[in-house]
Amino acid sequence: MTSTLRFKPVNAKPFIAEVMARSGQNLVLCYQCRRCAGACSVGEETGYMTPDRLIRMIITGDRDQALDNALVWKCVSCYTCGARCPNGIQTGRITETLKKMAKEEHMAPREPTVAYFHDAFVHSALRWGRVNEMEFMALYELRNTVHHLREQKFGALYKEIKAQASLALNMTQLKRMHLTFLYVKGRSEIKRLNKKFRKKS
Amino acid sequence: MDLAYYPGCSLKQSSSLYDLQNRLVLEKLGIHLKELEDWNCCGATSAGKTDDFLAIAMPARNIGIACASGLKELVIPCSACYSRTLVAQNYLEANEALKEKINSGLSKKIEGPVKISSILEVLLERLRSGVIGETAIRKPSLLKPVCYYGCMMTRFPFEVPVPDNVENPQGMDLLLDAIGLHPIDWNYKTHCCGASAAVNDPETAMALMAKIMKDAFSRGANCLVTTCPMCQLNLDAHQNTLLKDMGATERLPVLFITEVLGMAMNFSVEALQIDRHFIDATGLFMEFEELGAEKKS
Repeated sequence: MTSTLRFKPVNAKPFIAEVMARSGQNLVLCYQCRRCAGACSVGEETGYMTPDRLIRMIITGDRDQALDNALVWKCVSCYTCGARCPNGIQTGRITETLKKMAKEEHMAPREPTVAYFHDAFVHSALRWGRVNEMEFMALYELRNTVHHLREQKFGALYKEIKAQASLALNMTQLKRMHLTFLYVKGRSEIKRLNKKFRKKS
Repeated sequence: MDLAYYPGCSLKQSSSLYDLQNRLVLEKLGIHLKELEDWNCCGATSAGKTDDFLAIAMPARNIGIACASGLKELVIPCSACYSRTLVAQNYLEANEALKEKINSGLSKKIEGPVKISSILEVLLERLRSGVIGETAIRKPSLLKPVCYYGCMMTRFPFEVPVPDNVENPQGMDLLLDAIGLHPIDWNYKTHCCGASAAVNDPETAMALMAKIMKDAFSRGANCLVTTCPMCQLNLDAHQNTLLKDMGATERLPVLFITEVLGMAMNFSVEALQIDRHFIDATGLFMEFEELGAEKKS
């Protein structure tokens, strides 16, 4: 974290306005009481980054850091920060919004596996209308494997495959693996809506 | 009485036992579940994190199907599906323009009110009317449960009416009280299990689950009871690895509320498919006490 505060209202204003509009959260109500910081489920995983500091970054227009930090990518959307906020600010919505903005700006996700997972899930859900657990997990692991190979992280790849294989084996034994394919006849309704309106919403 | 029913993807796959239990238990309480015709995925947290439009449009189609069914109430046992659908309904009520846009592409449109209920709301209604008291005839006396509500029963990304206490929910505790069990009070009722982080960020999820398990152990619980298929799968499937790393020898079965109630209603372990847990739960259902007449009146 930089020690000097560089605040340029010209840069800050449009950024605050965009985050507020997209997340539906009134950030300027934050008076830095830090109840959210104490509430954060992943507080121990994010270093100095707490919800209040994320809000502060947005308000001071520190766009680069706000779009790329541990909290945005470690947030599990448990919404505890928002439940505890005396001013009703749901910072969980803000991390979700910043993830989308980072993607739109083609920034590499700080936690690629998190991005791959949610992309694979929505892709599978949109394609078939329902999420097929096996198809979507295969899609996710494939991207994960490519990533590990590209980064030459062979140890991590081995660990991942071992963990997933053992889970799959356990699930098969308990008949918790489902082999027939789920799909929805009317799935084109959502696809069409998505094509027509998503950019404008 | 007929209720519209949205099972969601996980109840059709890895948590199909929960689907079956819901049908058995609610049928016993005089509720016929009418599954929504051709329902689609709610988008879960993933859509919320990646696509604001789909996060509303996906559950919106299901609300439209529920409206067209003519039924007044829609029950959604999966916490994530419940949360996303309830949020979409309230969001669209507040954003008429988006509702019109989405309705323009739906063959079954969102019109008229449908009450979206969690499984706890439906069960609590039957507790108040006395039907649970009449049908629950035995107490599974070996159980020393803690009730685990997780995130999505009480915390939402949009303002919605919350039917329970946000910080200290009581719904599940009341239901277990009614069958003679007295759930142990604990600190981790509404803490997060990590959800999908168990797959995409295991270190974080394992740290969260470790805290939950530690408190459950230190309170002397011998099982966790939940309504959420994601929490159930996470704490069940990863518990062995997690506790082995922590050096613990004991394991705690993670039960759905429907299997505890189902056992109290005299269903068998096989009928409820309690033998499909990663941590064996069948041993908890070896002894029963008959529930007294005063319970039934």
